Amino acid sequence: MKRFEEKWTAWLDDQLSGRELSDFEASLPDKATAQAEKADAKKLGELLKRELGAHALTNDEFFNHQLREKIVQENRGSSKIPTSTWWTIPRLLWAGAASLAIFLIFTFAVMQEKNPAEESQYLTQILNARVDPVVSPNASVSIFEVKQDRVTVLWTEGLQSLPADYAAK
Amino acid sequence: MQTEATLAQSDVSELDLVKRSQAGDTEAFDELVTRYRARVFSMIYNMVHNEQDAWDLAQDSFLKAWRSVGRFRSQSSFYTWIYRIVMNVTIDWLRKKRVKGGDAEFDDAIQLTQIEPASKTVPKTEPLPHQMMERGEIRARIEKAIGQLSPEQRAVILMKEIDDMQYHEIAEALGCSIGTVMSRLFYARKKLQNLLRDVYEKV
Repeated sequence: MKRFEEKWTAWLDDQLSGRELSDFEASLPDKATAQAEKADAKKLGELLKRELGAHALTNDEFFNHQLREKIVQENRGSSKIPTSTWWTIPRLLWAGAASLAIFLIFTFAVMQEKNPAEESQYLTQILNARVDPVVSPNASVSIFEVKQDRVTVLWTEGLQSLPADYAAK
Repeated sequence: MQTEATLAQSDVSELDLVKRSQAGDTEAFDELVTRYRARVFSMIYNMVHNEQDAWDLAQDSFLKAWRSVGRFRSQSSFYTWIYRIVMNVTIDWLRKKRVKGGDAEFDDAIQLTQIEPASKTVPKTEPLPHQMMERGEIRARIEKAIGQLSPEQRAVILMKEIDDMQYHEIAEALGCSIGTVMSRLFYARKKLQNLLRDVYEKV
């Protein structure tokens, strides 16, 4: 179902025919005014056509030349893109893989080195600890460990007091 | 007058030019540009009322057409297809311009571009200076009136009245329904009739 604006436009442009035309004209309250408006619209159309008709394009050959230059530049640009993409993606992949490998190697090396060093330093401190025989004549210090259970036991006996310089750090 | 045979011939060669353009032939595309540049430029000029802007927008439109010519499927005429690009580019530009700097773009746009500087020396063939001045004033009035329409209304009225395009062609070029085209045409005409009545009555 067409709205009034659409029917009016079609009527102005002589696009209505047959029953559609007669129905529309019958629906107009004032046919004389409508006809005057139609004539007005035609005059407006003629005025626009006469005054705004083809506006000359000066330097038309230069227009094409400038456009050709832009197209050539565009084509050059687009032909470079795949090359740079081809280099960038593998580069990124290689850089990522290398970084991951270096990280893993360092982590493994640090872990390997850290555990025995800590353990041995601790044991050395314990075993080198001296107990003053004057203060604690019957004192004895012993140590045992179970490596697979990661357990170390320090056993002290007969100590009157803990020497100030003794500390298992 | 163009006969049916020549019309068919030109249609075939246009299709050929399009196909060659799609294959990357810049010379074929150049030929298409040559065919449509005047109409495209004129249409844009009537929308924006400034030669330099019209030139730039026409260049942009053809460049976009080159980029997307591979997607043209020959379901419509090449002309309608390129008009769609032209209208998108121009309407978008007009909207941005309106947002940026108000809508006073045509107050200083009295372009007397059709007046040749040498016309005073050729009185027999060229219109008299006062006639040219009068014509320039009329043109300025029309441009100012068109400047008061929305970009979409401008597009519709110019395609209908200047390019004699059919409703369905305009709808295709603007990507809207035929009903919308007719409705925009209705309001555009009403507005221009109010603004230009004294001009077309006098002329």
